[in-house]
Amino acid sequence: MKVTVDRDMCIGAGNCVLTAPAVFDQDQEEAIVVLLDETPPPSELTAVREAVDRCPAAVIRLET
Amino acid sequence: MAYPALPIPREEEWPFDPPPEYAELRATSRVVRVACPTGIDAWLVSDYAGVREVLGDGRRFSVQPGTASHVLHGFDPEAPPRSFTQMDGPEHIRIRRNFAPQVTHTRRLAELSPLVEQITEDAIDRMLASPQPYPLHSQFSTAITTGVIAELIGVPPEQRHLMRDAASALFTGATTPKELEAALEPLFGYLYQAVASRRDEPGDDVLSRMIVHSRDAERPLTDAELTTMNGALLIAGFDTTASMITYGLVALLSTPGQWDRLVADPSLAASATEELVRYLGVGLGLLRRATVDVELSGQQIKAGDYVVAAVQSGNRDKSLYPDADVLDVARKPGAHLGFGHGAHACVGQQIARMELTTVLGALARRVPSLRIAVPLDEIAWKQDTPVRGPAELPVVWQ
Repeated sequence: MKVTVDRDMCIGAGNCVLTAPAVFDQDQEEAIVVLLDETPPPSELTAVREAVDRCPAAVIRLET
Repeated sequence: MAYPALPIPREEEWPFDPPPEYAELRATSRVVRVACPTGIDAWLVSDYAGVREVLGDGRRFSVQPGTASHVLHGFDPEAPPRSFTQMDGPEHIRIRRNFAPQVTHTRRLAELSPLVEQITEDAIDRMLASPQPYPLHSQFSTAITTGVIAELIGVPPEQRHLMRDAASALFTGATTPKELEAALEPLFGYLYQAVASRRDEPGDDVLSRMIVHSRDAERPLTDAELTTMNGALLIAGFDTTASMITYGLVALLSTPGQWDRLVADPSLAASATEELVRYLGVGLGLLRRATVDVELSGQQIKAGDYVVAAVQSGNRDKSLYPDADVLDVARKPGAHLGFGHGAHACVGQQIARMELTTVLGALARRVPSLRIAVPLDEIAWKQDTPVRGPAELPVVWQ
């Protein structure tokens, strides 16, 4: 699994951090998404899928 | 040609459900032309996928007309944008970026949590010391949400009536643009002065933090932008959340088993919150305008046409949950449209979640015998406003 994010269009809603905290964080200054793990283990797949679904700005991409 | 009217929620008949017309539209994903209360015609989108597509694509569906201009007479959908809520693309992102560090950063929320808990516990203390029946919406729900957002932005108690005055004018469908401007003036005048004084002496409040945060930006926020942004937070921040607390409690207390389940396990407050926002949120839908010719569910929509995204109907789609019409406080939280979707999704959604979760959990623990003092059909509902819910809610407890 490979995860990418588009920081330019992120609105910092924080749903990804609440859904998959092992994979996503927010930077201190702008609260914009920070990708902690570009290739998370399979155990994170459900949480990452949900983060994609719950991101209002649709800035998370997942390739499996 | 006159089109059929946009179906408007009638809570006295269906307290928690979208009007029945939506069920068939949603099941067939049909996009139909409707006449809206403010006199504009729009395409009505009722299914989950369609609503999500419209709200999620700011390039093809612009927010420029204002998200409630199909129901609020105070807003002219043809007028130039009044604030960031009517901007698309990078210009909107520039403003929106200033909210996130203050109100949606997960670490910031952890800092704010004790404040919300304290305000909630104090409100329950006052409630339990009051005579019954107790007017829950005005004395409890609104007091909590007003207290939280006013503390966040640093509005002193003696100025908080300005928020209520502005919201009651803003969320009343009958207000004309001129009346609306007059009603908002006192709050915005106060905020404009607050911006000036906090530029000189910044505090720890959201307004000061926005000033400091934007100071080094390529284009720092102007006084007018800061005023509008904080005015929007203040007004939207208390009325919507207070209404969801009260409306949510009516739903929990009237749907067999749901309140008992929360009382038995108050840790369900977080999933109950998500479920109530999904189940009850945004009954009047959100307005967009097509920027190019598009096709939705086989329906051609021309550039310039208005589109209403029926959020509550979309959240009841069987493609989202097979039992989407059932209220279930233990439903595992997932994606839904109750806070909107796309770049304009509710900017206060994490604070709203925190307030609702705190309040529902605390009430379930401390007032488990809570019940509504009147039959469901005697509850007075707010009319002519996009922020739905009871106008007041008399409650009793043992």
